[in-house]
Amino acid sequence: MSVAIVTGAGRGIGRAIALRLVADGYTVLGCGRSARGDDFPKGAEWVQASVAETAGAEQILIAAQTLGRVTLLVNNAGVQVEKTVADSTDADWDLVIGANCRGVFNMCRAVLPGMEQSGGVIVNIGSISATAADPSMALYNASKAFVHGLTRSIAVDHGPKVRCNAIAPGWILTEMADDAFALANDPEAARRDALARHPVGRMGTPEDIANMVSWLASDQAAYVSGATFTVDGGMTAASPLNPGLF
Amino acid sequence: MKLQGKTALVTGGRGGIGRAICARFLAEGARVYAADLSEGGSLEAPGGDAEFVRLDVSREDQVREAMDRITDEAGKLDILVNAAGIEIEKTIEDTTLDEWNRSFAVNVTGTFLTSKYALPLMRRAATNGTTASLINFGSYDGFIADPGLAAYCATKGAVHALTRAMACDHGPEGIRVNAICPGYIDTPMLQSFFTGDGSGGGGKDIGELQQAVRDVHPMRSYGTPDDIANLVNWLASDEARYASGQLWVLDGGLSAQVQQMKL
Repeated sequence: MSVAIVTGAGRGIGRAIALRLVADGYTVLGCGRSARGDDFPKGAEWVQASVAETAGAEQILIAAQTLGRVTLLVNNAGVQVEKTVADSTDADWDLVIGANCRGVFNMCRAVLPGMEQSGGVIVNIGSISATAADPSMALYNASKAFVHGLTRSIAVDHGPKVRCNAIAPGWILTEMADDAFALANDPEAARRDALARHPVGRMGTPEDIANMVSWLASDQAAYVSGATFTVDGGMTAASPLNPGLF
Repeated sequence: MKLQGKTALVTGGRGGIGRAICARFLAEGARVYAADLSEGGSLEAPGGDAEFVRLDVSREDQVREAMDRITDEAGKLDILVNAAGIEIEKTIEDTTLDEWNRSFAVNVTGTFLTSKYALPLMRRAATNGTTASLINFGSYDGFIADPGLAAYCATKGAVHALTRAMACDHGPEGIRVNAICPGYIDTPMLQSFFTGDGSGGGGKDIGELQQAVRDVHPMRSYGTPDDIANLVNWLASDEARYASGQLWVLDGGLSAQVQQMKL
């Protein structure tokens, strides 16, 4: 059986990826810092572990290997702390860099020996914030740039057996985004403004990202490695000036 | 006086950005030719005025004439700044073929023609380890789009690619080629964008509109022609002798940020 590991699979984008990969026929192992949620896909397995710890990554790998051969790793786990550099504490650094950088590194390092033997695919979830900054997200922005850079290094060092790519999602509607709109001064105006910034006329869904993961993992993407694909409904193709201003 | 002894040609030399570049070059000691469609007002710069060259950069005969004149008078060209450009404020559906062709004729073909005929003169300047500097005008719109500026965005993308190609081809001859990619710069072109009957303005209060634009910039202002002239001057000078093939975005941080939700 082909085993796919999805980190940060408990909710949002990670859960959608896990669901899609089950449908694609993978034996899916999801993981996260919390216990398995009631809404986690029935066909998938779960292990509670933190990717930020070397031991956590090893625990995830061992759990995956009991299910079969690991052919796909999706590094989706990530956290964000909404602060500038001046306001960020050592604990913020450890949290963001631990999950977003060390976590991706730990998981890649864990699966690579097996993948170098019999082939495999790694898909990392980066961000549009890796190439242009979101304000007051300093460590997050920098951590995602690390993910894009590591993606290229793995592609270069571990091809041809291993393909490694990254996805840079734009605004994806998750519970987190819903909360942000609910807190806006004028939630309806905020939604209208957000929509106007998307040439495709809507914001993203976790399934949009899962679709790209599924494609990158498939043989359709056999010649794709070291790339970062942006899935943002066209948002970053447009200038950041207010839509409708002119 | 960073440009003492150098000869420079600035196309669009009577436009908003071109004037600032000419004034700066003169102040730095260069001999400056300002090329443009019409002479406009004279340049009241401390270094005097530039020598005016009437030139439509899209006309090959006129470009050759201009270079012949500089050959006769100066014998070499150290610096070429391709600042001539036009902007059609329309989507591609509304853009006529004439408007499309005119955009490419000035912004792309003009850059091609002046560069093509300036290169022999620039080789004469690039001797004994001294480099000549060719500076194109791209735009941040060559990377990310403003609405209703389709032909303009496309021409600037073409200038970016041409810049890299020319840098590869002519670097071995001692000619450095770079492009400056301005964001919102306070020029007549920008004011026309704000007040024009195209996609700009749209009947809104111009002051409010301009403030709204400034507020989107991390520097909370848009740029001045002098901001551009500062970088042009550096790229033109010998201090930039290792700088080539690059696209220099100068936009007050505008394109460094992801779009922001208004919450």
